[in-house]
Parts: sequence; structure tokens; C-alpha cells
Amino acid sequence: MAQEVCCLKAQLKEKEKEIAALKKKLAQLEKSHPTVLELHDKVTPLTPLTSNPALSNEDIMRYSRQLLLPDLGVRGQLNLSKTSVLIVGCGGLGCPLAQYLAAAGIGRLGLLDYDEVELSNLHRQVLHGEENQGQAKALSAANAVKRLNSTVECIPYHLQLSSDNAVQLIQQYDIVADCSDNVPTRYLVNDACVLSGKPLVSASALRMEGQLTVYNYRGGPCYRCLYPLPPPPETVTNCSDGGVLGVVPGIMGCFQALEVLKIASGHGSSCGQQLVMFDAQDARFRSIKLRPKQPGCAVCGENPSVTQLVDYEAFCGSAATDKCLKLNLLSKDQRITVQDYKSIMDDAGPHLLLDVRPLVEVDICHLPSSLNIPLSSLQERKSEHLQLLQERISELKQQMAGDCRPPVYVICKQGNDSQKAVQVLDKMSGSEVDNIAVKDISGGLMAWAKRIDPTFPQY
Amino acid sequence: MTAQVLVLYFAQSVELTGLKEEELPDVPTPISSRDLWTLLLRRHPRLAALQHHVILAVRQQYVAVGDQVVTLADGDEVAVVPPLSGG
Repeated sequence: MAQEVCCLKAQLKEKEKEIAALKKKLAQLEKSHPTVLELHDKVTPLTPLTSNPALSNEDIMRYSRQLLLPDLGVRGQLNLSKTSVLIVGCGGLGCPLAQYLAAAGIGRLGLLDYDEVELSNLHRQVLHGEENQGQAKALSAANAVKRLNSTVECIPYHLQLSSDNAVQLIQQYDIVADCSDNVPTRYLVNDACVLSGKPLVSASALRMEGQLTVYNYRGGPCYRCLYPLPPPPETVTNCSDGGVLGVVPGIMGCFQALEVLKIASGHGSSCGQQLVMFDAQDARFRSIKLRPKQPGCAVCGENPSVTQLVDYEAFCGSAATDKCLKLNLLSKDQRITVQDYKSIMDDAGPHLLLDVRPLVEVDICHLPSSLNIPLSSLQERKSEHLQLLQERISELKQQMAGDCRPPVYVICKQGNDSQKAVQVLDKMSGSEVDNIAVKDISGGLMAWAKRIDPTFPQY
Repeated sequence: MTAQVLVLYFAQSVELTGLKEEELPDVPTPISSRDLWTLLLRRHPRLAALQHHVILAVRQQYVAVGDQVVTLADGDEVAVVPPLSGG
């Protein structure tokens, strides 16, 4: 009895400590955000940006180090305070961009993002913290920016940019920055900028590379002049599939901030007819001189066929998100669920589990019994891998009586590549390797982690 | 006439070719940009995935894949640049 009382008292003390800590944190937060930002879930008309005729003493002190630059000066600083910038996407590019624009004293920042903060964002989306997980990215970014410079007007938009709202939103801003993560949004933002006559400072990043161009600016091309047709969706790699080193979008977002500041201050950007490429492996920038805008361009040309926004998801054949799309390449009898595979594993019947992810992903996590042959090796028919596969099939055949086809179950991260691998293996079966019965494990290792083994890592 | 050029591959073209760069010793010159692209496709058939969606640059200048004729000299850089869309 006495022990139980003691234990409860200790627990109570612990909880009181937690409450005190939370109260302290809340007070600190409230102190740093005297005004609570209102999250916009639709586009509403904005009041015109009020412009200061002169810099205050506080402005002079705050911006003194950049006021000293002849490139900016007082006039440039005042121009910044009169400029509004819409940032489409508050992720790896948008975070550093918003940070530097706010620090430099831009007048108004529209921060648009449809997503919420996730743990896997934090390595590159540096305005969001651990405590912001689950919060709207637009709000999290706006709060962080406000902490940095309370004189900057921030408008967080938690909405999906679409053909219905893009022009209405974009025409309220002076400069637009494309920090999005998918192809349909890139065409949508481009077309809306052309239709509204706004310069578009556009950057992108993946893996160890980045690109930047200022579109629709001083006679230069628009995105469609360069890329009249969208790439087939299956050839597009996004950050959640291909990976990205956080600092690479960081560098590109900072680069965007530089070009936005040059345009806003009146200095002008030199990237209007240039594609700048950043190679993080070699730490090298290269530029390609682009053509001027194209008279035949569908949106900015002389006889445009696109005179209002269209359906960009249909145009690109993909959704306006960087989330992985689920392929459905196989028939029902070519696929099994993770639960089915769990029973097969428990029954310990002879079979081969083939993991077709790249080695770098297998190093993160894998099922102990699996054989790793990447999909690309199967597609390219790499001889050492085919040999390995044949050896394992032969072993299985020895274990199994009769002349039945050894079962091969194919797994990957989410169940897309494994379906492609099943198609390749089906073609190889009976010719390039012995006859096998190939099946896909639906949903891959992430489904395994969700439904069978919660201790299995997700990435 | 032929020229020895350095082809630089970026973004997805690195995966498709397995190369970041390669020397091509005997590229005919002058050559139309279409023939230049076809020559690269013959070496790396998987580049076909980028057809119509790629930027080709010769000596850091954009070249539309088509009838435009380019004159190449030894040491010239040819860049294959597919768009990136991540962010």
C-alpha cells in the first residue's frame, strides 16, 4: 500500500514537472508571437501594400550591412519593402527562400503549401521544427519568418493551388517563386504567371543537383518555351523516391532569394535567359544560355492556344503532389498481400524472396531472408545477377520434389518497382532462367511495416 | 570533318547512361542538332525516355533538337539536361 502511494506521488510529481515545462514553452511562444497568424484556406483580396516614404532609425540599424552596398542602398531597401512575393511550396526550397527574403526586409510574403510538416521533411525544410510536426507547413513557415522579422507581412495559405485560384492569387503579388515539388504545379504556376504578367523565379532540386531560371522576365522564355510537353509521369523522379541532400535545395532556395531580391530592389536578375545548373558532387555551377521567348509558345507566344488555365493534372498525366503514385501493372493472381507472405514465411515452405530495391535502400532495412537484385540489374540483364538468381532457383528446385516451378516473391519499398520486376521475371522465366512462379508482394516493405511488423523501419 | 567532344550528362540522363560525362572522339561536323541527338540515342538507347523533354546545349548555348546545324570543334562541350522538378 505504502509503496503504491509512493509510486503515485512520484508519478504526480513527474506530471507536474511536465505541465510546468509546457506552460513555460507556451509563454515563450506567446511572447515571441504577439500576433497570431491567420491561416488562409482560400484566396481572398489583399489590401495594397503600404509603402514607407523613408527608412526608420530601426530599419537603418537592422539593414545597415546591406544598406552599405551600392548595389542596394536606401532606394533598393525601400523597393524591397514595397514588394510582395508569393512562395509556392514551403519545403526544401521555400524555407531558405522565405528566411532570406524576410531577413532582407521584403514587404509581404505569401507562403503557400498544402502539406503538413512530417519528420522526413526536417533534414531540408529548415524553418520547421520537431514541435511543428502535423502543423500546416504554411503556418509553421510563417511563424518562423515572423520570429525573424516581425515587420514583414506574412500570409500563410493552406490550400492546393489550382486552375480555379492561381490567377486570382498570383495577380496580387509582384514576384512569384516556384518552390514546388511536382510537374503539374510547375506548368500551372508558369501559365498563371504568363497570364498575369509576373516574373517567375523558379528552382528545383533532386539528389545532388539543382536548376534555376527566371521565367517570363524581360523577353526571356517561359517554362513552356523550354518544355512544351510534360515528361511522361513514369520518368519523373521525386525527392521521396530519389532522395535529396538537404543542403542542395538549401543552396538553390538561397539562390532564388538572391534573384528575387535583385528583381525586387530594382537591380534586375541576370537569369532571365539562363538555365543555371548546380552540381553538388563537383561543387560546380554551370550556365546554359537560353533562347528568348518563343513566338510559337502555347502560352506566351504570338498566337497562344492557352489563354486561360487548363487542367494540369490531365495535361501532365500525374497528380499535383510529390507523393508516390500507386501503379497497377499486374493481374490479381500475380499479387499477394503482406499477410499472405507472412503465412508463407511462417509455413517455411521453400521459396525465394527477391528484394529489387537499389543497394543503398537495402542498407537502410531489409527482411533477413531476402536476396537483393535491383530492378535495374534485371532490366539490363546483368550477367552476374542473373547467374546468382539462377543458382538460387536451382537450389530451390533441389529442395522441392518433382518438376514444379519454384515460387519467387518480389518485394520493394512501396510495391511499384516490384510489379515491374515481376513483368521482367515473367519474360525471363523458362528462357533466361528456369521456369519460376513469380508474384508481387503488394504494398512492399512499407505495407509490411504498417501491417505485420511495426518495428520495421519506414522511410 | 569530325571533332572530339565532351558530352556532359545531368539529372536523369546520368541514370539512363550510367555516365556523368564521356568523350566522343569522332563526331561529324557540321551536324544538325537532330543528328547529334540521334547519335547520342544510338550510344544510349535508354535516353529515348527523355525525347522531347530534354535540353541540349553546345558550348553552353541552348540548341533546339531539330534542323539547326552546329559546328563542333575539338574539346567542345555538349550538355544533356533533362528538367528537374523536385523541391
